[in-house]
Amino acid sequence: MSSEANNLAFERLVQPHFDRLYRLAFRLTGRKAEAEDLFQELLIKAYGKLDDLVAIDEPGSWLSRIMYNLFIDERRRFARQRLHTVEEGYLPGDGLEGFAGTEDPVRDHQRLEKLKQLDQALAQLSDEHRIIVLLHDTEGYKLEEIHKLIDIPLGTVKSRLHRARARLREILTTSGTFS
Amino acid sequence: MHTSDISKEDQEVLELLKDYPMAEATAGFYDQALARATHEGTRRQRNSWVMAGFGSAIAAGLVLWLVGGFFLTTPNLPEPDASIPGIAMTLEEPRTINMMFASETALEGATLTVTLPDGIELAGFPGQREITWETSLVEGKNYLPLELIALTPVGGEVLARLEHDNRDRTFRLRIEVS
Repeated sequence: MSSEANNLAFERLVQPHFDRLYRLAFRLTGRKAEAEDLFQELLIKAYGKLDDLVAIDEPGSWLSRIMYNLFIDERRRFARQRLHTVEEGYLPGDGLEGFAGTEDPVRDHQRLEKLKQLDQALAQLSDEHRIIVLLHDTEGYKLEEIHKLIDIPLGTVKSRLHRARARLREILTTSGTFS
Repeated sequence: MHTSDISKEDQEVLELLKDYPMAEATAGFYDQALARATHEGTRRQRNSWVMAGFGSAIAAGLVLWLVGGFFLTTPNLPEPDASIPGIAMTLEEPRTINMMFASETALEGATLTVTLPDGIELAGFPGQREITWETSLVEGKNYLPLELIALTPVGGEVLARLEHDNRDRTFRLRIEVS
């Protein structure tokens, strides 16, 4: 195929999955700048595997697994981790970049305070626990989908989810977020 | 989502997690990412050259900058930011801290050395007091996330030394452990 034909085929295969893939990237990295980098690297890698991409039945799942593996590989290469920017006004690592207020400032304030506590609690979890709880309880992934994505036994996914919730509950109760 | 396996005690946590926000991608980002992927992918296929790591997308962007002539002078290193506060850590509880570097211009190929006090370790580098790596800074604020764990209650100062073009700046972060 010509480059133009390759590009068109690639675009048609990946574009329907952009929103879900970006959301996955954000949940994995916790920051917009890193999520966009990860998303970008996924597309570059996937383009190099266009022959595989054309042949598979579920490109969305396939792309998600590549993204997850890229994320894990990058974490392992932490020593080469680049510095990254965040937008003015956002606290790095607080995970609340997308907070949207309503017309009720008092309620917004209370909600934001609780979310800050949640954010700090999530930061105390291991990557393995944080990712599973965010994918399942925030993004609505099924246990089976997480099992396929991160390639660990289904029972391990369940136990990690249980432990992650228990730990969050414990931290949030200690911090006074929950009565 | 399956809700049958969610205990009553988890409900409060679950409701909060459902409300956990998501930052939308930058406007136009998907189109730019797609264009860059097809351009980069074609170039890589031609050169049979494989780059790894999601930082490479930014590296490619910097190369384009150089070619475009926007980066013709040697930039100054950012000054240490006196506003970086000390932080408190709890013994044996990992905490991710972010060191901030404000740079007026992009810096490619800078060397960053993080020096840790006794009793403070960087996740993934047990027992190492000094870790060095090459990195790039973009124009504006740059944050370096460091996952630290305090193994003794002593605390101390974390030093981040940034070197570029035979010049250097040292940034300090005070850590108290309780």
